Amino acid sequence: MLHLRPENLLVQKTLTEAWNASKAGSPLTLDRVISDFDYTTLHVSNSPDDKSILWLSIRTKAWQSVVKCGGDFAGYLKSKYNGFHAVSECSPEQGYDFTVQVKLDELDADAIVQLSLMKIHIMSYPFQLAFDEFARLSQLPEGSNASDTVHQIQYRDDENIFIKPSSDRITVIFETFFQDETDKVFGKVFLQEFVDARKRNRNIQSAPQVLFSHEPPLEAASLMAARSADKNRRFITFVLFPRHFQTPELQFSSVCHLSLFRNYFHYHIKCSKAYMHSRMRYRVDTFIKVLNRAKVDDEEEAGEQTTRRTITGRKLVY
Amino acid sequence: MSQSLRPYLTAVRFSLQAALNLTNFSSQVVERHNRPEVEVSNTSAELKLQPMHVSRNEHEQVLIEPSVNSVRVSIKVKQADEIEQILVHKFTRFLEQRAESFYVLRRVPIDGFSISFLITNKHTETMKTEKLVDFIIEFMEEVDKEISEMKLFLNARARFVAEAYLGEFVY
Repeated sequence: MLHLRPENLLVQKTLTEAWNASKAGSPLTLDRVISDFDYTTLHVSNSPDDKSILWLSIRTKAWQSVVKCGGDFAGYLKSKYNGFHAVSECSPEQGYDFTVQVKLDELDADAIVQLSLMKIHIMSYPFQLAFDEFARLSQLPEGSNASDTVHQIQYRDDENIFIKPSSDRITVIFETFFQDETDKVFGKVFLQEFVDARKRNRNIQSAPQVLFSHEPPLEAASLMAARSADKNRRFITFVLFPRHFQTPELQFSSVCHLSLFRNYFHYHIKCSKAYMHSRMRYRVDTFIKVLNRAKVDDEEEAGEQTTRRTITGRKLVY
Repeated sequence: MSQSLRPYLTAVRFSLQAALNLTNFSSQVVERHNRPEVEVSNTSAELKLQPMHVSRNEHEQVLIEPSVNSVRVSIKVKQADEIEQILVHKFTRFLEQRAESFYVLRRVPIDGFSISFLITNKHTETMKTEKLVDFIIEFMEEVDKEISEMKLFLNARARFVAEAYLGEFVY
C-alpha cells in the first residue's frame, strides 16, 4: 500500500452494508463512530423515527478555519451532494459540524463514494476558493493582479495549511512539526528527498516544485507573526502551476493528494521504523546464534566419552 | 574490510585474548559474595588490572577493563551524523532490552560508549573463550555494516516515497 486513498473505506463499507440490508428488506440498526486522519470523526446512525433514513455526521478540526475562509461554504458543500436524490442536508447533529440525511431506498454506489469523501470535500473548499481567485487574477492585466489573500486551514492542533493564490500559480504551504526526536530526524530525510526528487528524476519534472525551510515563507509570514518562532517547525511549500488544476478532475486529484500529504509521509516514516524494527529482530537472532556457538555443549562432550554402544545401536550399561 | 579496520580488529582481538584470563575469586570484603570485581569500587588495587584502550579514531574506540574475575568491554560505534546517532541508539537499546539472551551483554553501557559487555569467570567456564572473542569481533564488524545499511535503506525509501508522491501530480 504505497498511496493512501482519499475516501474513507469504513464509511463506504458501512453505507454499503446498510444499503444492501435495506434492499433485502431488513434495515440495519446502526450507531457507528468512525475515525479518520487528523482528529476527524464521522458518525453513522439511524434517524430516530425511520430506519430507512441514515444520518452521516462529521466533525473535523479543519471545520472552524474553513468556515472562516468566507464565501458560501454551505452552498459549496451542498453542491457536492446536489446530484444525488438520496442525500439531503439537515441540521447538524449535536457535537458534529455537518450532517447529511441519506435515504437508503434511493442510494446508489456513486453517492456512497461521494459520502465517503466528505472530509476531502470539506478540506477542498479553501482550495476551490484559491482556484477561483486564481482564475480571476489571471484575467486582470499585469501589474494590478496582485492579491494578498491567504487561506488558512488549521487541520491539527498546531499544524496549518496556507493557500495563497496569485496570478500565475498557487502556493500551498504546510506548517508541520515533529513531537518525537526520531521522527524529526527521519522527517528531515524524507522532506529533503521531496525537495530533491523533482530535480533528480526527469519523469516528474512537471510535478509541483517543493521547497523546504525552517523559516516561515513570506507568503504565510503575515499570519505567522503572532506566533513565537519554534525551532521544531518546518515549512513545506508546494508551488502549483496552472497545469495542476486546469480541469475539475485535476483540481480534485491535486486537492486529494495535497490534503493527504502529511498523513502520507508520516505513514511512511512509521513504515520505515517498523521495517527497521523487524530488521533488528533478525540481526539479534544472528548475534545470538554466533554467541551460542561459543557455548560448551556439556552433553555432547560428556556423551562421547562415557556412553558406549553395541553394534546394533543399543546403549551399553555397566 | 577496509585497510584500517583489520589492524583495529586484530588489536582488539589480541587484547581481549590477553584479558580473558579469569579465575573464580570470592569477594574480599563481603563474606560469601562472589562479584565481578571490575564492577565494584574496591580498595584492593591488585584485583583490577590496567585498562586497555584501543582506538581507531575518535568515533571508534574499545575500552577493555580487566580484573581478576571479570572483564568489561565497551565499544563506541561510529556515529557520523544525526541519523546514525539515532540508529545506533535504537539498535543498542534494542539489544540491551534482550540482554538476558546475550548472557555477556551489560544492560547499560558505561559513559561515553555505545554498548558494553561484561564477561565473568562464569562465562569463560561455560563458553569457549576463543569463540567468545570471535563473537565480540563479529559484533563489531556487523554493527557498522548494519547501521550503514539501515541508513541507506532509509534514504532509498525516502527517495522512492517522494518520487511516488510527486509522480501522482504528473498528468
